[in-house]
Amino acid sequence: MTSSSNGFMGKILRADLSAGTLKVENTSLEVARKYLGGKGYSVYLLYQYLREYISKGVHPSEIDPLGPENILIFSTGPGTGVPGFPSSGRYHVMALRSPLTGSIGSANSGGEWGPYLKFSGFDMIIVEGVSDRPVYLSIVEGEAELRDAGDLWGKNVFDTCRILRDRVGGKNTSVACIGPAGENLVHMACIVNDEHRAAGRTGLGAVMGSKGLKAVVVSGSREVQVADPERFREVSRRCLEAMRKNPVTGQGLPTYGTSILINVINTAGGLPYKNWRTGVNPDAEKISGETLAGTYLVDRRACWGCPIGCGRITSVKSGPFQVLSSEGPEYESIWALGSSTGVKELDAIVKANHYCDEFGLDPISTGSTIAAAMELNEEGCIPKGDLQGLDLRFGNPSALVEAVWRTAYRAGFGKYLALGSKRLCEIYGRPELSMSVKGLEMPAYDPRAIKGIGLNYATANRGGCHVTGYTVSPEVLGIPEKIDPLKPEGKAMWTKTFQDFTCVVNSTVNCLFTTFALGVRDYADLLSAVTGWSLTEGEVLRIGERIYNLERMILNRLGFDGKDDTLPRRLLEEPMPEGPARGHIVELEKMKEEYYKLRGWINGVPTKEKIKELEIEI
Amino acid sequence: MKVHVKVVFYASLREKYKVREVSVECDGTIKNLVEKMSEIIGIDIVDDIYDRYKEKIRENLMFMINGRNIKDLGEDIELKDGDVISIFPPLAGG
Repeated sequence: MTSSSNGFMGKILRADLSAGTLKVENTSLEVARKYLGGKGYSVYLLYQYLREYISKGVHPSEIDPLGPENILIFSTGPGTGVPGFPSSGRYHVMALRSPLTGSIGSANSGGEWGPYLKFSGFDMIIVEGVSDRPVYLSIVEGEAELRDAGDLWGKNVFDTCRILRDRVGGKNTSVACIGPAGENLVHMACIVNDEHRAAGRTGLGAVMGSKGLKAVVVSGSREVQVADPERFREVSRRCLEAMRKNPVTGQGLPTYGTSILINVINTAGGLPYKNWRTGVNPDAEKISGETLAGTYLVDRRACWGCPIGCGRITSVKSGPFQVLSSEGPEYESIWALGSSTGVKELDAIVKANHYCDEFGLDPISTGSTIAAAMELNEEGCIPKGDLQGLDLRFGNPSALVEAVWRTAYRAGFGKYLALGSKRLCEIYGRPELSMSVKGLEMPAYDPRAIKGIGLNYATANRGGCHVTGYTVSPEVLGIPEKIDPLKPEGKAMWTKTFQDFTCVVNSTVNCLFTTFALGVRDYADLLSAVTGWSLTEGEVLRIGERIYNLERMILNRLGFDGKDDTLPRRLLEEPMPEGPARGHIVELEKMKEEYYKLRGWINGVPTKEKIKELEIEI
Repeated sequence: MKVHVKVVFYASLREKYKVREVSVECDGTIKNLVEKMSEIIGIDIVDDIYDRYKEKIRENLMFMINGRNIKDLGEDIELKDGDVISIFPPLAGG
């Protein structure tokens, strides 16, 4: 496929860093019809790599997440960069194995980089091998080149973005890069683009660092063409109008951003506090979106083509945690760096979040790992010598900020924090204190108070993740309809449907927040108009289900199955001590049984019948 | 019989009424609670949170009683002394 009249640019760049070669291939329409782009297409490619490794006699467990065999894929989809496609300024990154989890690596980011990759002429970039010296990849107006990054190695995210943007110049130029955390192979290092937007989860920055790839700079002026412009204009107008009129996408998110959720979730008794000892934070008001709006909030920022504009620009003008200009923190980062650690000083949270962007760290896993270390320390599990003077107590704002940069540089106790909470808690003999699933730290919702999200955490392919199947939407926010968060009944269907639909969103690739206003029918219409395919609602969800199952099949080959679809003991055995969910645990087995039945899985493994039904070629 | 409850406002409601929380004495019904609230912070609050035709709290709000959404609590809600009511406009995040 070379035409660009269907949402795709028609080209994939394959970079072999070991050989130092670049190859241009055609995007396959056949694959795209079954898996769309973005996450779906990447999952398809990763499965082919895995199959090839197995056929060569390499056991999947022998693939070193930080070695040359690991594969890293940057991807866009048919919706990315299409003017009028709501909130389509995103891209998806995947790796065969995450250094944090050993499972599949997967993350998504906004900003400008995704659309600009397409404007430079490519749908995706596949990165193989390991470079023997630091390099960066430059793609300008269809011309790709590997360049020496010796002068960039060691620089932080902000400097790297600025230097490369200036070096390349041009209007549509964007940089995705790693900071010191990625270079130092910190397991929760992320990939950051446009200074403050990150493909945050599962440690993909470390994968990039292990390959010696400092950055990918993209620039171009090509346009993304759609198959049926007239129909697309009509559908786009309808969807944008729906988003404008929707109280969440038209008002709530633009006005307050995501951090406004702090008080909502805390009131519902589901805001994890002090490494999930409880779901009620007595200081939630001090770190809430309302407080942020009245203190450090300066302005808002939208990603490319987004009518919502949920991004926050912040500034702490004075004091020990001064940051003159930053972005965020978002709901998740306020929670992980603040509530989870018991820190109630919002300026310290802004600073810690700023450091995460500067050094290239996932704030969720970083905050959660620091919180786990605080509990280990308070339980007397960490020898003083290991801490090297770091006063890791719950609620200590200075220790939080110091622990973040120490993690990025593996300095002092940072060498333990850099491994993530699972390995950290194993080292100190208390594995149950890692609040993670499949090694990925869970985000900001306690499933003892929101049962469906517990099922989603347990079954999410990439591990403890909320955006794989965001059931908080119906359970707490009442979108698209209200269901009771404390009842396990019916949650399996919601979880499965949300997981499948999210695969579609991440393969389109655009923003999950659109789904507060747009449904499956809207996506079917948008995708049909862009690609020229006639997609029904059923077909769209089937594509999502196919992607989710193929991703699960990769997990299975990496050794994960039903035993790994679980939750930390605290959530299964320790009743919530207070709040509206007082006395509740997560009734996981009951929900999981129903979920597996709906999925057509046995013990977390898709059956042959299910694979055949979804027309997955193995 | 009268009950005393605390009502806490969030986000745009807090901004609009320039109040974080109020104590309200009412007869324990939601309808009376809204009426009594309007006497304290102004009549606009009625239309902001209450559907006069359906005689119930507006569908798109998060109206929580002691952290439980009113929609999860069934019909015929009777407020008790000391209840905390939290009212959020339509919001989301992630």
